[in-house]
Amino acid sequence: MSNNAIPKDFLKNVMQNGVGRYVCQLQRITFRFCKSHGSSRFMRDFIENHLLDFTQKHPGVVVYLQPRRHRAPSIVSEYLNGRREVMEMAGKEVGDICKWTEHMRTRSGVQIVNILKNIHTDNPSIQDIWHPFMFKDPELAITKFPSEKFSVNLKTGKTATDLVLEELSADSYENKSKSTIDDK
Amino acid sequence: HNRVIQWSTLARSWWIYDANNQCAFRSAYRLMIYLQGKHKPVYGNGADIGDHVVVINTQHIALRSNFWRTFKHHHHTRYAGGYSRTSAWRVHEMDPTRILERAVHNRLAGIEFRRELMARLHLFPEAEVPENILSNVTGQIQQVQAIPKKLQDYTQEEIDKFPRLFELPADYDTESYKRENRLEPDKHTSMKYRLK
Repeated sequence: MSNNAIPKDFLKNVMQNGVGRYVCQLQRITFRFCKSHGSSRFMRDFIENHLLDFTQKHPGVVVYLQPRRHRAPSIVSEYLNGRREVMEMAGKEVGDICKWTEHMRTRSGVQIVNILKNIHTDNPSIQDIWHPFMFKDPELAITKFPSEKFSVNLKTGKTATDLVLEELSADSYENKSKSTIDDK
Repeated sequence: HNRVIQWSTLARSWWIYDANNQCAFRSAYRLMIYLQGKHKPVYGNGADIGDHVVVINTQHIALRSNFWRTFKHHHHTRYAGGYSRTSAWRVHEMDPTRILERAVHNRLAGIEFRRELMARLHLFPEAEVPENILSNVTGQIQQVQAIPKKLQDYTQEEIDKFPRLFELPADYDTESYKRENRLEPDKHTSMKYRLK
């Protein structure tokens, strides 16, 4: 838990996107490639055959093409929350490039992190979370401490005094009850 | 809003306890619960969520039977010949808060946060508490035992009304229980250990 090299966060959900209307979070994609180098051959193939389908299907995404001489191909996607993701496409086949662009389109711009808990709720308790003054006498708010009322413990067992008094009173009670029975 | 809930749930409260005529060891058990935070439903083993406890009237604490004479506090200074044993009544005369402090300390044995918890225990011999501490208090811990009624607390009417169980013979000597060689306190010990 104390290792902060791997980014981690609790589960968060942008609950409003898609509930009413859906807003594509991808703002723009830039396809970077070289016009002649061999590593960009799949990228060039993708641009020739598959890119226009993508743009026509998703007119809300701005597409840029950036030829860079002697550099490996890559995709740069920028999102509405301002984040920027770069993905290397060197060595990836045409099908893979298609799938990665689709992946970029469907993402929110949130950073990919280790999820600590795969559950989240905005209402963790219906009974309300405990605080120190729950189930306490509201008179505590106006008492001045130390207070006799809240301090005194009146619980005692039967003391010798109580036993003595009980016996004496019991004797007299028995005498009375015997007399009533005799009368009857 | 959530952080306000967090602050209120994990807040550290201040309690006050009146130790007048209470058993030191039973009180220590009660105070231990509040110091650890075991009175809270959010208690966790490794989480330090205990509360502060202010104890007043430690001067008037009670011990059962002959513990004032027989209960000893042991101390070794870790130097040769540095071992000493002191009776509870001597310790009490020297420092009226020491007995309860020791009792709570021994009760917290085995707990990792013992030092921090003891720092949150505030003991006062009488009911005088500094204002900055007393103003923090928001709750009172109930006393551990009921204070028994002394003979002085009974009114003369109640004494007269109490039924007489038996009559002593006229020639009965009420002082006869006192032994002949019964000495004043502190005289039965050697000169080395007498209080100056």
